[in-house]
Amino acid sequence: MMGEEREPPMTAKKSGDFDKDLIRELAELLEETGLTEIEIEIEGRRVRVARGAKAAASFAPDPGHAAPPSPRESGSRGRKGEDASHPGTVPSPMVGTAYRSAEPGTTPFIEVGTKVTAGQTLLIIEAMKTMNQIPSPHAGTVLAILFDDGQPVEYGEPLVIVERG
Amino acid sequence: MFDKILIANRGEIALRIQRACKELGVATVAVHSTADADAMHVRLADESVCIGAAPAKSSYLNIPQIVAACEITGADAVHPGYGFLSENARFAEILEEHEIAFIGPTSEHIRIMGDKIEAKATAVKLGIPVVPGSPGPVRDLDEGRKIANEIGYPILVKAAAGGGGRGMKVANNETELELAISTAKTEAMVSFGDDTVYLEKYLGHPRHIEIQVLGDGQGRAIHLGERDCSIQRRHQKLWEEALSPALNANERARIGEVVAEAMRKLQYRGVGTVEFLYENGEFFFIEMNTRLQVEHTVTEMVTGIDLVIEQIRIASGAPLSLTQEEIQFNGHAIECRINAENPRTFRPSPGKITHFHPPGGLGVRVDSGAYAGYTIPPYYDSMIGKLIVHARNRNECLMRLKRALGEFVVDGIETTIPLFIALIQEPDIVNGTYDIHWLEDHLARG
Repeated sequence: MMGEEREPPMTAKKSGDFDKDLIRELAELLEETGLTEIEIEIEGRRVRVARGAKAAASFAPDPGHAAPPSPRESGSRGRKGEDASHPGTVPSPMVGTAYRSAEPGTTPFIEVGTKVTAGQTLLIIEAMKTMNQIPSPHAGTVLAILFDDGQPVEYGEPLVIVERG
Repeated sequence: MFDKILIANRGEIALRIQRACKELGVATVAVHSTADADAMHVRLADESVCIGAAPAKSSYLNIPQIVAACEITGADAVHPGYGFLSENARFAEILEEHEIAFIGPTSEHIRIMGDKIEAKATAVKLGIPVVPGSPGPVRDLDEGRKIANEIGYPILVKAAAGGGGRGMKVANNETELELAISTAKTEAMVSFGDDTVYLEKYLGHPRHIEIQVLGDGQGRAIHLGERDCSIQRRHQKLWEEALSPALNANERARIGEVVAEAMRKLQYRGVGTVEFLYENGEFFFIEMNTRLQVEHTVTEMVTGIDLVIEQIRIASGAPLSLTQEEIQFNGHAIECRINAENPRTFRPSPGKITHFHPPGGLGVRVDSGAYAGYTIPPYYDSMIGKLIVHARNRNECLMRLKRALGEFVVDGIETTIPLFIALIQEPDIVNGTYDIHWLEDHLARG
């Protein structure tokens, strides 16, 4: 943050005299708590332990790779073999954090198999401290939910597949 | 220092900023439109976020999406580059409210310098020489006539909200003044929704000379010499040099100190450029750009200072790492803007680059996001890269530039490279005897 004088992270990463046990302990704590990142600072030294996959907010393609990713590939983190090109795919209209329910711990808006009407709220995206309800563009049945609760999403990222009918 | 910087831009400048971040050990977030998903700035960033559809209004100018991208990636600073949101005071303010650092000056300084009349009044207050003109907006023809007679003809009528040459008219005498004021007002209304105009002395054959400054926001500021950007077409710079072939060391030190002292008084933060028209040994303030400029590279080549690294360091609260005495000028540098345009008609030439071979060798730098197989989207600026050449003196620099231009291969689209190959044969270019009208006159001659 502004005004704070810190060593560049590179220096911290490179120096080999860190306490390996401490890092191991932090890594275990990370597993235990289910957090994605822990950062501590002791006597001006910073240690950050993070889990990659889930914490990654977005897609960083390998620059060495010859073929650049197509827009669809880069935007899509669709899992479970779901086809993001399905005509019932609902893409994210904005950048933000996607939530499955109105408040933590409450019933999710939809589950796979839920029948929805056009305009029914499918999920909420939090952006700039505002909650934005994302409506279903058409009536149908939820075929797949392509995001995890609390997951950061980018513009155009497939969120839900609602099969018409 | 920041942990993670989001770069709110695209193309070569997004890549340029990433390079500085990486050398500082700071993580980078690229943002991009759907049209730029396979752009080099996206491929080389640590993380990327798609922020909207292809038109800039939906993506690179979309403030809520960019702030949301900071939130989901945890970026603690934003570098705006040039163009897009780089001189948007509201954007700087919003970031401030979200406790995200804006790598640039205060929103207040952006606002002052973004308004031509207020900028000029501020320049006068700070002791920067200005073009004689009306002290404020000219309300009617009578007031215009009176002021024009005091300044002397020819007179330039300018729109307060203007830019890019629109809303500008020249009047050579009192008869022409009436038409000039009315057409400038109409053009300004149509283009900017604001018909405020003011008058200035019109300079016949000035050079465009600009001073690069660096301030820490706490009253310390230095200058890094000048750039000569007189080779322009329709107010678009195409060829820039550092240092100017027209200035000697005394003139440089004198105007540099005037500008640096003004920045100290203003308590300016970050990099900035004060632009002047230069004629008969006199400088006249045009405007101040409160951001990094396209042509910052030539200053870097002759001073050896990475301006983007300095800019980021200052934004993070660090003091200036250099004193005025430490700034040394070594040799000469020239930048050519490689645009995807027809070199004679300047019609944009978007499309797919089939072959791309940038020149290399000692003193040759290419800042570009282009590569073989890259398709230039039609939505944005036509500049696809910059060729920058540095040598021990101007003659060697010109020879090196000629050699580098000959090596540059960009197939599949048209570029401005042939224009530069032709320009380098011109005696006025070789001798450095040109003004801001030279290129347009030269092109008109055919």
